[in-house]
Amino acid sequence: MNPTIRIGIVLLSMLLTSSTVSAQSKTVDPTTGAVSWETQMHGVTLSLTQILPDQARAFYLNRGLPAVATEPYAKACVYMTILRNDSAPGVVHFQLEDWSVVSTDQSRPPVSVEAWLKRLEEYDLTQAATIAFRWAQFPPEQAYQPGGDWNQGMLTTGLEADTVFDLVARWDVAGESYQGILRNVRCAS
Amino acid sequence: MSLIKASYGMFVVHPDPLKWIWLLLGVWLLPVYADLPPLTHGLTLVPQPHTAPALRLPTMDDETIDIEALKGKVVVVNFWATWCPPCRREMPSLERLYQTSKEKGLVVLAVNIGEDIDTIFPFLGTVDPSPSFPILLDNDSHSLSEWKVRGLPTTFVVGPDGNLVYQAVGGREFNHPALLQQLLDLLKE
Repeated sequence: MNPTIRIGIVLLSMLLTSSTVSAQSKTVDPTTGAVSWETQMHGVTLSLTQILPDQARAFYLNRGLPAVATEPYAKACVYMTILRNDSAPGVVHFQLEDWSVVSTDQSRPPVSVEAWLKRLEEYDLTQAATIAFRWAQFPPEQAYQPGGDWNQGMLTTGLEADTVFDLVARWDVAGESYQGILRNVRCAS
Repeated sequence: MSLIKASYGMFVVHPDPLKWIWLLLGVWLLPVYADLPPLTHGLTLVPQPHTAPALRLPTMDDETIDIEALKGKVVVVNFWATWCPPCRREMPSLERLYQTSKEKGLVVLAVNIGEDIDTIFPFLGTVDPSPSFPILLDNDSHSLSEWKVRGLPTTFVVGPDGNLVYQAVGGREFNHPALLQQLLDLLKE
């Protein structure tokens, strides 16, 4: 076979493999207009769904947080986040502080649960409200066994409305590092 | 000033009509999004089986249940809250599992995290079939740290000898045949 054609076939197969591994889908909820992004890689599913500011307000007002406390959170570019170990070669372990929210001018981890809890201290919340806030967040650290362990929780990027960013999720399996990227994710307005 | 009763059985007072429409929508829509990911249907073996942590809590009927007194039975311990979408979704299947297996020696304990009876009771009325297993009340979320729970829902299965055997992080279809078989095999031991 002609070497040029052979190289072309190899490059094409690499391109196809890469796009298969990191294929990203985007869907829009017809009722709310909220957008979801999802990708599968290395046996793991990762998805983000916009939580509109009014939905975040409503959720926490109904859990007993005062409006003044919910406002900064609702405007912090919130996502319903899902990570699931479908068929990774072992236990998927991650720490949110290792993830990156990459926008045009900066790269930083998602806003930590600890940072939000610190901000909420000034509002003298009830124990029930604090517990609801804490445990509705995506876990700061977790380990998922293969075969279907997963979590769904709220994650804030801290970015302004309409900001476009990439989310780089990082995890390890048996000491080996992996990452999955959701590209061109947009904060709800 | 208007009073809104949301689907969770909670009451919210808000003066702005437009805002309370959003509040109502928000409370409904947040779980709707959350319904997208499928519940999985497998239990994973606890990596290093060991004695289950202590669990001694009041029920909604003001009785006290101590897991120590349940040795000899297979005990499913489920940590949950009404505001947690996967917890809400898996609850009917947990009841079906209980109905199928209680005569064989299976006990289900659902530990609610941080909520009161006035919040929990109306929710249970919306579950079909409504749970008949004990709901335990952990008002300060102390049990989560004892059991090393990092996200809700999380479920453990304690064997007749009092050791942790299985765990499940994230929502499950508890009456799925594969999961049911795992528990039936344990009940035969």
